[in-house]
Amino acid sequence: MASAAIQAYQAKDYKSELKPIWCPGCGDFGVVQAIYRALAAVGRPPHEIAFVSGIGCSSRIPGYTTAYGFNSVHGRALPIAQGIKLASPELLVLVAGGDGDGFSIGGGHVAHAVRRNVDLTYIVMDNQIYGLTKGQLSPTSPRGLRTASSAWGSLEDPVNPLLYVLGYGASFVAQGTPADMSGLAALIEEAIRFPGFAFVNVQSPCVTYGQEEQSLKAHKSAMRPLASLGHDPGDRLRAMALAAEYGKALYTGVFYRNPEPPPTYEAEAKARQQQARPLAPVRRDILEMFRAQ
Amino acid sequence: MSSDLIVGMAGAGGDGIVSAGEAMMTAAALEGYSALLTKSFGPQIRGGESSCRVRVATQPVLSAGGTLDIAVALNWDDFLKFGSELGVDGRTTVIYEAASGVAPGELPLAGVVPREAIPVEVARLAKETAGTDRAKNSVVLGLLAAWLGMPEAAFLAGIRKRFGKKGEEVLQGNLAAFDAGFRHAAERPLREPRRLATPGKAGPPKLVVDGNEMCAAAALFAGCEFFGGYPITPSSEIMQFFAREVWKHGGSMLQAEDEIAGIGAVVGASFAGKKAMTATSGPGMSLKTEMLGLATIAELPLVCVNVQRGGPSTGMPTKSEQSDLLQACFSAHGDVVRPVLAPISVADTFGITVEAFNVAEHYQTPVILLSDQEIGQRKETVDAIDTSAFPVLERQRPTGAELDGYERFRATDSGISPISHPGLPGGNYLASGIEHNELGSPTASGEVHARMNEKRLRKLEPLKRRRDLFLEEGDPKAALGVVAWGSVAGVAREAVRLARREGIDVKLLVPKLLFPVAEEVYAQFFKSVEAGLVVEQSHQGQLYRVLRMFAEVPRGVQPLARSGSVPILAATIVERLRGQVLALQSRLVPEGEPAG
Repeated sequence: MASAAIQAYQAKDYKSELKPIWCPGCGDFGVVQAIYRALAAVGRPPHEIAFVSGIGCSSRIPGYTTAYGFNSVHGRALPIAQGIKLASPELLVLVAGGDGDGFSIGGGHVAHAVRRNVDLTYIVMDNQIYGLTKGQLSPTSPRGLRTASSAWGSLEDPVNPLLYVLGYGASFVAQGTPADMSGLAALIEEAIRFPGFAFVNVQSPCVTYGQEEQSLKAHKSAMRPLASLGHDPGDRLRAMALAAEYGKALYTGVFYRNPEPPPTYEAEAKARQQQARPLAPVRRDILEMFRAQ
Repeated sequence: MSSDLIVGMAGAGGDGIVSAGEAMMTAAALEGYSALLTKSFGPQIRGGESSCRVRVATQPVLSAGGTLDIAVALNWDDFLKFGSELGVDGRTTVIYEAASGVAPGELPLAGVVPREAIPVEVARLAKETAGTDRAKNSVVLGLLAAWLGMPEAAFLAGIRKRFGKKGEEVLQGNLAAFDAGFRHAAERPLREPRRLATPGKAGPPKLVVDGNEMCAAAALFAGCEFFGGYPITPSSEIMQFFAREVWKHGGSMLQAEDEIAGIGAVVGASFAGKKAMTATSGPGMSLKTEMLGLATIAELPLVCVNVQRGGPSTGMPTKSEQSDLLQACFSAHGDVVRPVLAPISVADTFGITVEAFNVAEHYQTPVILLSDQEIGQRKETVDAIDTSAFPVLERQRPTGAELDGYERFRATDSGISPISHPGLPGGNYLASGIEHNELGSPTASGEVHARMNEKRLRKLEPLKRRRDLFLEEGDPKAALGVVAWGSVAGVAREAVRLARREGIDVKLLVPKLLFPVAEEVYAQFFKSVEAGLVVEQSHQGQLYRVLRMFAEVPRGVQPLARSGSVPILAATIVERLRGQVLALQSRLVPEGEPAG
């Protein structure tokens, strides 16, 4: 990690002039701060960063940065981000959204983003509720939770984002909380630097519709850094065992980092382009391949 | 001597009927004929019945045509499954497998006494020469070459192209089988000959290509660097072409996990500054609709191809229909106009695809390219296309001065605002599906929303004056007018020529720009028109309804609208026109259907 003294960019260079619409005390304020810090540490100029999100409170986040932002449609940030990265592999591509965006309406895209291994950093701000639409059940809401759309309590078990993504075969899976800002910034920086698809689940409390035990204050005492448990991030099975405690224990840090990261889609695509380029027809003669002979 | 012949063949899967048709296309292309091949298959994934039609002519072929001149039945059960797709009448020469045991006077063709019926021991000839009855198709090619009087060498080239890859033994077997068929036919001339005239001038060999491959090749020509899509019949060949070719041009592609992700990646690639395309068919279009809305409000160029099939839902995936026009024009949420373009043939697919990219890039909008199964999957011989005659446009990028205090959605006279892309210093902005102001900042202001709606619609207005996206034929002052689009336009062109030959004064308008509706172009066309037809392959008459919404359609102009799968024939159009002439003469113009 570069020291602040030799950084070309400061955290403030990534902060835009837009004022967030978030409620005072929202966990997402901490997340965006952590992102500014991580980006400053990585040191890419804002115009070389594409920051894509879907729809939801947290998906407003690209607008609060000076990067090229794309606040797209609900659940589709990952496909859009993959298109950006494949079209321009030299860009740093960040993806962010909420638990509903990533594990409900957009849930079908996560497995494929993982297995395709496009070099993206995917940050989910997981608050176990739909905030923007004013307090309905989310895919990570615990069973029994009473919300605007579950007056009698939820009848469903929540998904486990950590276990899902590990199960899909991701090479980098981490969890953080804005209650530990510098820890979160370091995790996001590590995820950005990781060559390949990297997932950071952030427990980001909703102050308006969330549960009390999910407050930043509660996180401070509940969080258990994986490093302090002596967890080896190269141990995928142990990572899955720890991830299975999602909803019960608040582990923070890197669950899994593949010691031998597989090649990215765009790296393989580049190799294929180099292999195929000598076979390219002159563009004006492109139809010659159809000529009868 | 005929100048125009239609050959239809059917057999079981493995009989190589389609291979025979393709070899015949190669032969036609080498000899300077114009030809058109359509294929049709049973619903089985493998081994079901298969058929093809090849129309060969000395003049340009405009449609697949109607009743067969020559029918080849390797197996009567399979042949009959294709019904009117392989229509036989008293003018048809029928060649069939003698081993079927059917006597020439007792063909299973109800109500038809064909011009001539010739049993040939196709399977025996194949086995004797190639050692396998898999070479039946080459025997058939030999028979056709001899009886049609088409040059043997061209057929041999076609066979080499089809079978060369399968090894020397297979190739030699097929060449021997061809020879056996050729000698068999040469020794037994037809009672009623079917010689094909030779084309006037034999230029360089023509291209042989289907609409889907032409579309993909044109996209690469236009500078498309990214494709995202999902397999769906009948458009998959477009994605498959990209999978083979895009890497050569330094581009990339993605077979996405679903239709939404396919166009999503295309939206992303366009945001990143690259020309990008997706392709699908009806159900996939429904799934892509939300993303089209995003591309419209974020003002991102992209081309979305819909190779139409019978619908709704799974409908008839291997059959052609023009029933997605209303969807293309109107399925958007919000106040949106999305340009819709449609090619009328395989050859035309080149220019219209390049045009789709030009419109998308110039106006910063998604463009829907409405092809159909007929064009997408049929093969045509195509004369050399001078690609340099097709200009390629690029999106307007901000100048250095414009990057100083850059406004992504700056108010301009044209409504087109210079667009930056990630990587460009100073061009940073927020693209969004949420309404935004000139800077790209989200807004809830009704004034800004109205202003932006006006900008997004205003920028497309010049499209309506693109007369070059319309084809007009016939007498400009004619009282009879026909409008047709897509693959049916070829049938209508043929019909109008036939009608004019019999003295019917009729003209034709073919829109390749379907939406926005070019009101002025139609007004001028309809000025002289008292009666006529809007010909299309959709049950409701979707183009007719769109025209009734936006143009003054004379009351005497009626829809000639049919559900897909069964092709509309030129003869049907001519017959309707004859009726309209009679009605005009007695001033009994039937009234058009009420718009609904």
